[in-house]
Amino acid sequence: MKTRTILIAIIAFASILTACQPANGGGISFMVFGDPAELAVYQTLVAAFEQAHPDLPVELIHVPGQADYRNRLAADMVAGTPADVVLINYRHYAAFAQSGALEPLGPYLAKSSLIQESDFYIEAVEPFKWLDELICIPQNISSLVVYYNKDLFDQAGLPYPADDWTWDDFLAAARSLTQDLDHDGRTDQFGVGIEASLIRLAPFVWQAGGEVVDYDANPSTLTIDSTKAIQAAEFFFSLQTVHHVAPGLDEETAEDSESRFINGRTAMFFNSRRGVPTYRESAAFDWDVAPLPRGETRAGILHADAYCLPGASKHKDAAWTFIEFANSVEGQTIVAASGRTVPSLISVANSPAFLDPSAKPANSRVFLDTIPYIHALPVHFNWIEIEDIASEELWRGFYGQTDPLDALQRAIQRTRVYFTENE
Amino acid sequence: MNSLARSRRLQPYLFLTPYLLGALLLVALPAGVSFLIAFTRYSGMGRPVFVGWQNFQWVKTDLLFWVALINSLLYILMAVPLRLLGALGLALLYSRPTRATGLYRAAVYLPTVIPDTAYALVWTWILNPFYGPLNPALRTLGLPAPSWLAESAWALPAIVLASLFQIGEGFVVLLAGLRHIPRETYDAARVDGANRWQTFTAITLPLLSPWLILLSVRDVVLSFQSTFTPAYIMTRGGPYYATYFTPLHIYETALDGMHFGEAAAVMLLVFIVTILLVVLLYNLAEGWGFDED
Repeated sequence: MKTRTILIAIIAFASILTACQPANGGGISFMVFGDPAELAVYQTLVAAFEQAHPDLPVELIHVPGQADYRNRLAADMVAGTPADVVLINYRHYAAFAQSGALEPLGPYLAKSSLIQESDFYIEAVEPFKWLDELICIPQNISSLVVYYNKDLFDQAGLPYPADDWTWDDFLAAARSLTQDLDHDGRTDQFGVGIEASLIRLAPFVWQAGGEVVDYDANPSTLTIDSTKAIQAAEFFFSLQTVHHVAPGLDEETAEDSESRFINGRTAMFFNSRRGVPTYRESAAFDWDVAPLPRGETRAGILHADAYCLPGASKHKDAAWTFIEFANSVEGQTIVAASGRTVPSLISVANSPAFLDPSAKPANSRVFLDTIPYIHALPVHFNWIEIEDIASEELWRGFYGQTDPLDALQRAIQRTRVYFTENE
Repeated sequence: MNSLARSRRLQPYLFLTPYLLGALLLVALPAGVSFLIAFTRYSGMGRPVFVGWQNFQWVKTDLLFWVALINSLLYILMAVPLRLLGALGLALLYSRPTRATGLYRAAVYLPTVIPDTAYALVWTWILNPFYGPLNPALRTLGLPAPSWLAESAWALPAIVLASLFQIGEGFVVLLAGLRHIPRETYDAARVDGANRWQTFTAITLPLLSPWLILLSVRDVVLSFQSTFTPAYIMTRGGPYYATYFTPLHIYETALDGMHFGEAAAVMLLVFIVTILLVVLLYNLAEGWGFDED
């Protein structure tokens, strides 16, 4: 009797342990982030892959929020059980690369008969090189653009943004588009929606002729307190603090700017390409994209995610087969057609799959035109923390809780230790 | 001793084994390992490197550690007494069975069984300065209607406010405690002519104090941890760190920064602060004349 009880207990315990093991014998797992519309894109990609490789089923793991995704990935990496293929932004992979947790994909790419390095935009590939070795294969070369609601421009009698519009043009449009529709003293429609963060401020700094860090290759500090950078930050913050064309803190907390844009109550929203699948699905108005307004010079900021292969994967060859497929002309065409990416393959980027003017945004060429002016943020082990802390300080500047110079200097001072730590 | 008696004596331990095994494997062992990691530099991948007290030295100078600790202590200072008072008040109110008592009791307990994430999302809506139901209600009553989660001064009190409705467990414990007080004590007091307030302060409160101490200790320990979900869902620690608590700090240090050594050091410090608070509470309780018996 007693022996039987113990036996049952052992069996129960053992079955709990085995239940924790991933159960995909021959297949691989693939982890992605994004809104439901973005998930659908990857489902299509996986379906196409499975059709081409019936012996390699792919389990798609989806974590909606980008920060949640990052934390999940970190936890999985630490536990030694990451998915076989993971998407990582160039600003986030350095800590993994430094620990040797990612299998360098340069050698795999060198042997591939489907794709080679020169097929890709070099601007997207370079940031994924760690110590001169290609770690991950970038899926896209997106950049920050201005999504604008054409209906609201029409209603205000404004011309659509020109390709060479300036900060002044942009501000003038934003002011006309900011309106108190029901005259209750509260703005119901905002001209601009933009996140108060370092990654949004950075292109303005470059456009003013400033720099974000001292040395791109081996940065030791933020340099956003130069005269040029201050000028950029003052313009950026003034959108909220002086001109009130961007929502104040209460408004932003009540409903974030992206949601306002989708609901037709923000005229211009700053985002990378990744918003497209969601806007195609949810925006009930006509919209398009415009390049960033230019300052003293033109500048854009790189947004790129790459397919990475964790070193802990037990199915490296199968994982590479999937990565190779996803970044082949066939795979990138599928994802590009859904709107999700600005393809990193030069041939696909210049194909109708991406440029098709009948699919919104009609003016997709803006993304390609920006490439010659594109800047990347540095690839650094502690970049996530540096960006988080700097953004908290910039947030204070944006919402008028401190003056611009103080916000910039505090961002520099508080992040300094993270540049040198862990070297 | 015959074998039957021996197996009788072993039986409780046998029944406890699964729990003890679980506690050992899932709590004691990881906690021990975490204590060791606090003295290493460890990115979560590769090998930890022993660095002595270096992590603690870093934590000492880390602004965010102090912000998080102070916020957590502020939360405890506000939430624990209020939650206890709320549970006590409601337990007193619904201790005597009437026709609708069951319904009321269920209503008090209900918010406690809502999953924390859903609860936090509901409160994000309740506290929404423009679209939430709370501020119009406050304005109707002629009360000030702050922007809650958007305002540095109000975000932490807002999270305390949300926590005040998840007091079902304290409520049930105190109901049991009240039932534990012999009826005759009240009868005797009534014969002696004691009024309701005197009865409450001289009988109910002293006899309930062991339960109250137990609950406050439990709530202090819990409150150090329970801020994670509301902070993560409702504010992400903002605005400008106003709701940045120690669990979120530990989480971000480990999983955003990949600084597991520093995260473990903070955890160890929080563990020590929790113990100090509990000891302090027990000493205070002794001062009130609380006796283990």
